[in-house]
Order: sequence, then C-alpha cells, then structure tokens
Amino acid sequence: MISLKHVSKIYPPNVVGVEAISLHIKPGEFVSIVGQSGTGKSTLAKLLFAEERPTRGTIEIGGWDITNIRDHEVPLLRRQIGVVFQDFKLLQKKTVYENIAFALQVSGTPAKRIRDVVPLVLNIVNLSDKTDRYPGQLSGGEAQRVAIARSLVHQPKVLVADEPTGNLDTLNAGEILDLLKKINEFGTTVVLVTHDRDIVNRLKRRVITLDGGKIVSDVEEGRYRL
Amino acid sequence: MFLISSYRVGKFALQNFWRNFWLSVITITMLMLTLLTVNIIVVLNYVTDRAIQAVEDRVEVSVYFYATSPQTAVDNAVAYLRSISQVRNVQVITADEALTQFKDRHAGDEVITKSLEEIGNNPFGPSLVVKAKQVSDFDLILEALENPQFRDQIREKDFSNYQDIVARIKDTTQRIRMFGLALSGVFLFIAILIVFNTVRMSLFIHREEIGIMKLVGASNGFVRSPFLLEMILLSLVALVATLAIVYPSLAALEPKFGYYFGGETIGLIDYFEKNGWEIFGLQFVGLAALTLISTGLAMRKYLKV
Ligand SMILES: Nc1ncnc2c1ncn2[C@@H]1O[C@H](COP(=O)(O)OP(=O)(O)O)[C@@H](O)[C@H]1O
Ligand SMILES: [Mg+2]
Repeated sequence: MISLKHVSKIYPPNVVGVEAISLHIKPGEFVSIVGQSGTGKSTLAKLLFAEERPTRGTIEIGGWDITNIRDHEVPLLRRQIGVVFQDFKLLQKKTVYENIAFALQVSGTPAKRIRDVVPLVLNIVNLSDKTDRYPGQLSGGEAQRVAIARSLVHQPKVLVADEPTGNLDTLNAGEILDLLKKINEFGTTVVLVTHDRDIVNRLKRRVITLDGGKIVSDVEEGRYRL
Repeated sequence: MFLISSYRVGKFALQNFWRNFWLSVITITMLMLTLLTVNIIVVLNYVTDRAIQAVEDRVEVSVYFYATSPQTAVDNAVAYLRSISQVRNVQVITADEALTQFKDRHAGDEVITKSLEEIGNNPFGPSLVVKAKQVSDFDLILEALENPQFRDQIREKDFSNYQDIVARIKDTTQRIRMFGLALSGVFLFIAILIVFNTVRMSLFIHREEIGIMKLVGASNGFVRSPFLLEMILLSLVALVATLAIVYPSLAALEPKFGYYFGGETIGLIDYFEKNGWEIFGLQFVGLAALTLISTGLAMRKYLKV
C-alpha cells in the first residue's frame, strides 16, 4: 500500500526532517510511528499526503508514485488519504454537519450524495445526535471524532493520523484509538503518529520508532521503547 | 459536477464579499474612481469632437460677384468649387434673392427703400456661400478662388478665420486628455494595488478554511475560483455604481453643454445610450481583466498550493 525507498527530507537550508527512510506498509495494516519530539514523525506523515515533497528517494502509495506529484494531482491523492491532526482543524463557524459536508462540497460531490454520506460517517463515529453543534460546543474527544468522520467521507484507502490523541485525556484518547481500530477493521490502512506510550502498548500492532529522522526499530506487535 | 461547483464557488464568493464588507467597499470605490476618470475622458472626447464640428460647421467663405458679372463666370465658379473634394457645400444666392433679402431686412427703413427706388435697377450681384469640410481646407478654397476664370469677377471675399479657434480647442482638449489619461493611469495603479491587497487580506482571513479545503482534497481551481469570482463581482458592482453616477451627470450636463452650443442638444445621452454596450462593456472587460490579473498575482504570492 505504502512504500518508501531511501526517502530523505531536508528543510532549507539544511535541517533534517527525515533521513534515509525505507519502509513498506501492506494494505490493511495498522502502523504506529513513534519517537520523541522533533524526530521527524510529522515530516513522514506530511510526505505521505504530499504536503511536503521528498528531497531524495521515492514514495509510492497504492502503486502511485507520488515522489514528484504535480500540484493539480494533489487533490486526487488527498481524496484517497484521510488525514487527522492533533488540533482537529475544524471550522469554528460551521456545525458538525457542515464541517463534514464541506469536505464533500469542495470536491464537487452532488448534494444528494452529501445528504447520504454525512449521516453515515457521523454514525460510524457515534455522533449522530450532535450534528447541529458547533465545534466550540464539543469536548476534545468529540471534536476529534468529527475530524475523523470528515476524513472518511471519500472512503480513503489510507488514514494518516498525526498525534490525534495529543490534546485528549486518557479516556477520550482510548475512545479515539478504538475508533481507529474499528476503521482499520473495515479495511483502511491506518498510519498513527504518536508519542503516547499507553496507546502504543495497548495496540499490540506494528511499531516503527524514529530517532533523529531515522528508523531505529521496526517491529511487529511492538511496544513503546525508549 | 461543473454546475454544482459553480453554485458553491458563487456562494463562497458572496460570503467573502460580505465578510470583508469594508474591504469590498474600499476596493469598489477605487475601481469606481478609475472608471469615472475613464468616463470623463469619454465625455470629453465626445464634447470636443462636437465642439470642433460645430465650429467647422460655421466655417464658410462668402464670395460676392459684381452686379455686372456675367452669369457664366458665376456658373464656372460654382462648378469648379463643387468639383473640389474639400468643399462640402456651395450655396448660390442670385442677385434677385440678394435684393429681396435686403428689402426684407430693411422693410421699415424709408431712406433705404427710397434710395433703392432711385437707383432703379438691382445694385446687387450674385454671391456664393462656400462651406469646407474641415477648417484646414479653408486655405485651399481661398486659393481656388484665385482661378483666373472668375477671379476678376469677384468683388469681395468675406470670411472669418476659425482656424485659430479650432487649434486652441484641440490644444486645450489634448492637454486635458493627457491629464485625464495620466490621472486614470494613477487611479488604475492604485486600484491594482488595492485589489492585490484585498485578495491578500482575504487569503489571510480564510487561511484556515483554505488549508482545510486543501487537506480534504479541494481542487486548486475550487480554492481559487471564489476569490477570482469575488473580484469580478466587485468590478461589476463598481461598474453599476459608476453607471448610477454617470447617467444622472450626463442628464445634468447635457443642457449646460447645449447652452454653449447655441441652445441645440449635443446628443451626449444619445451617444451613451447608442454606444453604451460598447463603452461600458469594454470598461468592464478591461476592469475585470485587470482585477483578475492582480488577483492572480496575489494568489501566486500568498496562496501556497
Ligand atoms: N517546515 C519546516 N521547516 C523547517 N524545518 C522543519 C519544518 N518542519 C519540521 N522541521 C524540522 O524538522 C525536524 C522534524 O520535525 P517534525 O517532523 O515536526 O518532528 P516531530 O513531528 O517528530 O516532532 C525538526 O527538527 C523540525 O524543526
Ligand atoms: Mg509532530
């Protein structure tokens, strides 16, 4: 599903984001990327959804070489990769429903399909009763579930979550994790960036550890070491 | 797909317009000022054209023949003058007509009537009124009258030289026109800067929304179109507002100009109504092109894709 070969990202003038990363993620896998702050986890995530281009190496997603993806092709990639962030990135002036519908509107989805899809994804994240709330009226966990619902509207093959539980307490974090597992069980490949020890240990899935922009360990059914 | 997108893009554009209300107002005002100066130039061009035409209409040479001149000399002169392409019109006033006109003019004056009776026959000769097409053709016509075929039969040539007046009108209007062009150039430049800044602010205000749009896979066109459309909208509003100022002004100016042109209408409103689509259509196309270019520049600089 995802394949990186000798990928480096050097930010100008010479800050190392990631260095010589090679990895392969199979369809349907649930992979955690862990490591301390500033070790290149977010950079790796950004390379996956083409917010950054690699300085060296090649990146393939679903057989598509996105190493030098053109600007006008990026939207197509983004419709195949759901993204979730620590800060939710919801529009405060739109309701839960509108925030999710927005993702479909801006990619030219017909109104009828929007009316079908939005309740569907809201149901997956268990927020069908809060459609008319504004983000300000939601708990952190609920806001993140809205963001996850939004990332699902295009039925992505891959979900990239960069510290989705970073702003949440243990209970809410656990809920989000369960949700990600559920999405993974539906067949979506999940890449979870985190530095939350508990979460990783609970998952018992593949763990890739970064340090100084390099992969220092990659183990199936791993635990958070460091 | 295209229709859905157009509708949504339109909606976003309208939202932008209202959310940055004051920014929109300032932009529209500047665009309006630019359009107004352009329209002042258009009016000026038209009025001076009419002024020069009015003067040229009056440019004429009166040619008086002797009462004793043979009719053939007069006919020759008429035929010759009419063959000159610069001559617009030759009006012939026969000796009898001249006498009648004279009598009419002095109908109440006993002395003159008496002395005419004493003379017995018609003391007037025939005369011609020659009109030129342009003031500059004036010299050529005077020269033509030196033709030996009839030169000696001409008693007097009477003309007023309007060439200086026309030259002065042309000179003055040329200067006003240059000033107007320079002014609209300056306004245009300011307008471009303001549009650029409006788009920059707009992008800044919507940076979060734009960022999210991109993350969820909005096409670049979809991200850009609302801003382009918003600027077209502003151009359109500026044009309509300009029209709302220009038409009443024309209506107020028309009689004033008429006064200078001896009471007759100069057809200013007529001119704008007949050519309105062209005049304002061109202005809109030009304005829209300029705002789009400066929007494009702002987006290229401030909208990272
Ligand atoms: N846009 C950027 N420009 C320059 N340097 C950056 C940029 N983004 C990240 N970096 C640098 O790259 C390194 C890795 O950052 P990041 O991938 O955000 O790490 P993490 O997500 O693991 O905390 C850090 O040294 C960071 O300062
Ligand atoms: Mg990070």
